[in-house]
Amino acid sequence: MIVFKTYFKILNKLKFPIILYTSILIFFSIFNMQTSDSSNNFIATKADVAIINYDDYKGITKNVIEFMKKNNNVIKIKDNNFNLEDALFYRDVNFVIIIPKNFRKDFLDNKKPIIEIKKTGDYNASLAEMYLNKYLKTANIYLNVTKNEEELINYIERSLSNNTKVEIISKLDTIALNRASFYFNFLNYCILAGFIYAISLIICSFKDEKIRKRTIVSSMNYKNYNLKLLFSNSIFALILWLFYVLLGFFILGDVLISINGLLYFVNSFIFSICALSIAFLLSNLLSSKNAINGIVNIIALGSCFLCGAFVPMELLPKTVLKIAHILPSYWYIKNNEVIKTLDKFNFMSLKPILINLIIILIFTILFIIITNIIAYKKRKID
Amino acid sequence: MFYHNFKYTLKRLLKDKMLIFWTFAFPLILGTFFKMAFSNIEEKEKLELINIAIVNNEEFENNIYFKEVFKNLSNKNNKERLFKTKYVSESKANILLQKDKISGYIVLKNTPKVVVINNGINETIIKQVVDEISSQEKIIKDIINIETSNYLNNDLFKKNSISNDFSSSIYKKALKTIENSSIKLNDTSNKNLSYTMIEFYTLIAMGCLYGGILGMVAINQTLANMSRSGKRVAISPTSKLKLILSSSIASYLIQLIGVFLLFIYTIFILKVDYGNNLFYVIFLIFLGCLAGLSQGVGVATISKSCENTKTGILIGTTMLGCFLSGMMGITMKYIIDKNLPIINMINPANMITDAFYTLYYYNTPDRFYYNIISLLIFSGIMIFISVLSLRRKKYDSI
Repeated sequence: MIVFKTYFKILNKLKFPIILYTSILIFFSIFNMQTSDSSNNFIATKADVAIINYDDYKGITKNVIEFMKKNNNVIKIKDNNFNLEDALFYRDVNFVIIIPKNFRKDFLDNKKPIIEIKKTGDYNASLAEMYLNKYLKTANIYLNVTKNEEELINYIERSLSNNTKVEIISKLDTIALNRASFYFNFLNYCILAGFIYAISLIICSFKDEKIRKRTIVSSMNYKNYNLKLLFSNSIFALILWLFYVLLGFFILGDVLISINGLLYFVNSFIFSICALSIAFLLSNLLSSKNAINGIVNIIALGSCFLCGAFVPMELLPKTVLKIAHILPSYWYIKNNEVIKTLDKFNFMSLKPILINLIIILIFTILFIIITNIIAYKKRKID
Repeated sequence: MFYHNFKYTLKRLLKDKMLIFWTFAFPLILGTFFKMAFSNIEEKEKLELINIAIVNNEEFENNIYFKEVFKNLSNKNNKERLFKTKYVSESKANILLQKDKISGYIVLKNTPKVVVINNGINETIIKQVVDEISSQEKIIKDIINIETSNYLNNDLFKKNSISNDFSSSIYKKALKTIENSSIKLNDTSNKNLSYTMIEFYTLIAMGCLYGGILGMVAINQTLANMSRSGKRVAISPTSKLKLILSSSIASYLIQLIGVFLLFIYTIFILKVDYGNNLFYVIFLIFLGCLAGLSQGVGVATISKSCENTKTGILIGTTMLGCFLSGMMGITMKYIIDKNLPIINMINPANMITDAFYTLYYYNTPDRFYYNIISLLIFSGIMIFISVLSLRRKKYDSI
């Protein structure tokens, strides 16, 4: 009991970083919760567009603005100083349309007034530009046919009012599952940083020379002592894992009550065991608490950046992902990404998940073996 | 004495491995991670060719216009190419979609229908193109109608019926009108739009402010209530100003070396773009380090807690500052700048980041000067507070 008690006493002192990692997780998971309804109807993606109009809001000018409003999210930004440029740089808007003065009059007089645009050059900007091009092109064509503004607008509206049928064939609740994957990917950071930090520091405290000598001369059985330490570690890991699972339920809701949810839990549990083995290895390798602090940050941040916990895997360069193969986090996150897309559950569809889990377990065994070799050698030196 | 203390402060700081790790190595490692993780993001956001399939049923084969448009949009030599198109049967298209090989497929049955697996931008673009084809069909019909009625009105006495030649010529004319109706937009967007740069700017800001830890440790060595060497120094007949100044300058020097190493690393290895004005950038780094140093000295003198707590305070405030200025996602900086500008006005990490951003993105120096002056004021206040709490300090017992 005394080992157990001491363990949790030291743990209590280390609670702040763990609270910090957890609050980062909560913050980013909630930050990531964009509202979007998950119905089976097709919802067109809308680009964020700012429209600065120097012309009077009527006639063809009004019509082009309304058309853009219908197909894009129009964001109100005043054209002063840095507002517009800042919004563009930080991707608050993807596309800016600046309608010049007398646009309507010049357009109707066939003087071909030129609209000024600013764009971010990404997908959304291209989409918004497509819409604007389409409108202006159509308007230009009809301008050859009629000079009457009302008639012109009628023609344009009629020819642009298309709604092609779109059928969605997947029944998966992709938005909710995306969120779940984001949460469990981010959890990679908390599990690695939290587990390794706390466990290696605690073991380090137990290994302090004076304390170690005292334990050795005490009447306590060496094996018994180690077993209790192992037991305490497992209890801590289990509690923390359970806490994160419950937190997941709290943040993500019902989506976790499914086979997908269960798979997320199994995956994170196996990964927690792996993190535990890394913590053991580090506490055997390093003796300075300061060094542990530094290494923990590098391992946790490195794994997260390289394996796709912070930046989604599909956005990472291929070479980085190849390097990431040597890290257990890669297989954990890869599994989360597979679970996200799963809607049929049979041996074939679960096979890749099982393989990844086995790879994580192999990593775990490898770490344990290395730990034992190091511990053995150290004891010999002693 | 000045030189003596300067030399030993340098030695003391450089021999502290943990200190050098956090101020020198950690920003370099973090920068490398940033580069590895972010280098592809902006590339992937650009419009790439979209994989689609079209069901090659009879209706599609007969719809010449539809066929032509997609042939054109999938043509390798077309500058405006959008799609990589496969022409397959409906069941094959379905399998391709399920396997995620295509974003969606199009079936022509009376009206065109798009089948996709979920909502998204590629899917929207496919729909948008099909919409546009329908629009163009309407436009062609409109033009044909108008031309025909004009023709009939004018030539009512010549002919009462429309010959085949006439209708095909009108159809060609309509197609030509559509093809020739190009429009011009005046694109005035700034070319320096790479937002991941902000991450690296916050990294430099972090480097500058982390350097404050060096200043803090150096000052602690001269404080009687903080260290043994401080007690010894306190009873020596040396002017306090000399001591503090030499310690500060020594740590400032190490700090500058660290940040310049980081700076050079970001330029040559990580290929970070700092805009064109190198002189301003270097000036900014000097000032940023000064802000870091004054923050470190400030924390060292105000707080009475132990060195570890002071380190914690410095790391905590720096990380919070970097977070608010966009290190963990640039949206944060924008949200704060837009809604709570006061927070970023007093945040030194943001002053440094924003100054770099201004040099990179804007041509006008006004905002840069504003940030420079803010940094100077921040440093001034910190130094003033330190002086207040340091001067005339005496201990009867300790």
